[in-house]
Amino acid sequence: MAVSKAFSIEDGNLGTKPFVVAQQQTYTDIDLTFTPKPSGDLYKKTDAADVKQSVKNLLLTNYTEKPFNMKFGGNLNDFLFELDTDIDVDLMADKIIQAVDQYEPRAQVLSVNANLYPQRNEVVVTVQFQVLSTSELVVLDLTLTRLR
Amino acid sequence: MATSTVKSSDLDFNNIKARLKDHFKAKAEFSSYDFEASGLSNVLDVLAYNTHVNGLTANLALNESFLTSAQLRSSVVSHAQMLGYQVRSRTAAIALVNISVNLSGVSNRPPKLEITAGKQFTSSIDGVTYTFRTRETIYASDDGTGLYVFKTASDATAIPIYEGVEKTKTFIAGEKAERQVYIIPDETIDTSTADVAVFSSVSSNDFVSYTPLSLAIQVDKNSTHFSLHESPNGFYELNFGDGISFGKSPEPGEKIVVTYLSSSGSDANNGTIFNPSTGITVNGVEYTVSCTTDTESSGGDAKQSIESIRQLAPIAFASQKRLVTSLDYKAAIESNFPQVSSCSVWSGDENIPIDYGKVFVSINFKSGTSATVQQAVKDAIVNNYTTNLSVMSIDTKFVDPQYVYIELNDNFQFDPGLTGLTLGAMETQVYNYIRTYFNQNLRDFGQIFRKSNLMTEIDALDKSILSNDIDVKVQMRFDVTLNISNTGTLYYPVKIASPDDVFHRIQSDTFEFNGVAAQIKNKLKSSTLQIFDLDGNVLLDNVGGYSPENGTVTLTGFNPSQVISGNTYVKINVLPQDDGKIEPLRNYILVLDAGRSSATARTDRQTPSLKVNV
Repeated sequence: MAVSKAFSIEDGNLGTKPFVVAQQQTYTDIDLTFTPKPSGDLYKKTDAADVKQSVKNLLLTNYTEKPFNMKFGGNLNDFLFELDTDIDVDLMADKIIQAVDQYEPRAQVLSVNANLYPQRNEVVVTVQFQVLSTSELVVLDLTLTRLR
Repeated sequence: MATSTVKSSDLDFNNIKARLKDHFKAKAEFSSYDFEASGLSNVLDVLAYNTHVNGLTANLALNESFLTSAQLRSSVVSHAQMLGYQVRSRTAAIALVNISVNLSGVSNRPPKLEITAGKQFTSSIDGVTYTFRTRETIYASDDGTGLYVFKTASDATAIPIYEGVEKTKTFIAGEKAERQVYIIPDETIDTSTADVAVFSSVSSNDFVSYTPLSLAIQVDKNSTHFSLHESPNGFYELNFGDGISFGKSPEPGEKIVVTYLSSSGSDANNGTIFNPSTGITVNGVEYTVSCTTDTESSGGDAKQSIESIRQLAPIAFASQKRLVTSLDYKAAIESNFPQVSSCSVWSGDENIPIDYGKVFVSINFKSGTSATVQQAVKDAIVNNYTTNLSVMSIDTKFVDPQYVYIELNDNFQFDPGLTGLTLGAMETQVYNYIRTYFNQNLRDFGQIFRKSNLMTEIDALDKSILSNDIDVKVQMRFDVTLNISNTGTLYYPVKIASPDDVFHRIQSDTFEFNGVAAQIKNKLKSSTLQIFDLDGNVLLDNVGGYSPENGTVTLTGFNPSQVISGNTYVKINVLPQDDGKIEPLRNYILVLDAGRSSATARTDRQTPSLKVNV
């Protein structure tokens, strides 16, 4: 029989969410690399890997890319067209938190760290978030660079 | 209930995606379909978008497949052509001018002068100069004093000149094994001005003139006809017969020369002054040509609109180039005469009084069409259409449109707490809206006034208008000659309210009768008309009567000495029996009498915070 438990707010604000002691595969998604198994079927992503893929997909999506949902995405590529002196790391963090908060209810961002590498025209963003259903901490590194 | 069947006929993206999600809900493999950022959601986006686009494309394609629902001009034109309908091209404005040359005092004057087609005139309209030209050779004879007045071949001194630039396209006929279509890449062509000549070779001067297929009475293998119709991209295609049984086709190597006017359409209307660009040379000396305007330029128009094609093509098809029903006449006239805004046609047995053996035609000309052009259009209708295409022994009779004026008084409840506008400003807004409503929805044959429709629109005009009601009166105008007895009948398009013991049902505007300002009203409780002074005293006991059921007002022996408004008519308004709907018949057109209409507001505060409970 499942037991309902709750985390404190400090530990992840799971106040009303049930927590299942016996961990189950809550989330199952298609693997966006579309790598085929030897059987010909596609691989799946499950649980934290699934959420991680979703967050990555969300943050790397630009505004207007998703049909009929123009404000979907992190729109991080927008920052690549700013001067390196003008890039506001706090603003970038806000955008990431806001996007995850709005479109990925399975995760909560704990921290965002962005490093500029002007000589390589690159921004490396490290997002640490928690998968709410399992409390698992996940670190996602994104390297934003212009294609040309 | 979740279903594993995906319904793909929805057009809305979100509905399609929701159905795909329903599909996944019924499967156990994937559970992340419901999170917008998930990979599966991205795949669903692609699938839904694809279905959405395909659905829309199929829907649009199907819409374009029917004349009634097609939106693209190319589709509408194509459907009309399938019905054998000739879509009207842009038309050139035409003016009538009198042209003369004065050679008095010139020795060795020739007895006759001639100006070949193409003589140019310029006219400035709204700061833009347009070129007009003659399209036939005109001749003038010496009147003995040296004055030469030019005339057309039909002996008319009013010479038509057409606006436009003359252009020429030359084609060499190709192999006969293939059906040749000759493209004229010009959207400004007036197809009615196109002349087609086919030369036997590139260097030959001998040619055969081809005539428009639309004017053909009979077509056989020797017929020399061409057709010029709009192609899907808006340009024009020149076609000939098949060369076997349905008209001649130019032989390979023959030269086809098409000349036409490239016109500016309606922009060149209303030109009043026309200056010849050159004089006329007589015995090596150039003399000035005098040009006076007989009729200002008119009749220029854009290509036939999509809605016009949609309306007229089926009617033209039904008429089969014959004038039998009233719709046949309507289609033929409105399709072929750009000066005509609309027309109404009815048979003699529907006329009042009945006149068997006649077809009555009333034409609402576009504004600015001169009386001369109007008459020319009527002549052309008779000569080119009704004489050739109508049933034998049926004559055409033209009658002018009969305007019926509507007097409206709108009373509306106004809550100033719901708007920033003042009461007076809102009254003006409602009044202006009524005028706009009439201009946009009425002012044409067959346009019905429905009171409830207008009331609904006024209610929706602003949230501060809480409700409204309209008093409607129908007004016609009785032409009078002063100081003689005038007798006549006005036929209203409505039944008139029965006599009442309190209110008059008929009332005229003010005129002078025996030196006293007076009005015509019906006697209370009676249909007899009397003349009253402005204090309500009867000046003349009987000046006619009205028939509530027939909707007629008859004046007998009406002898005013002056109409106070200064008009040559007296306005007579009646209270309709049913003011909910006023339907004009035959040649009636409903028009608002703006001067006798109004909008009146009454303050009615409905805002809860402003309510006072007593």
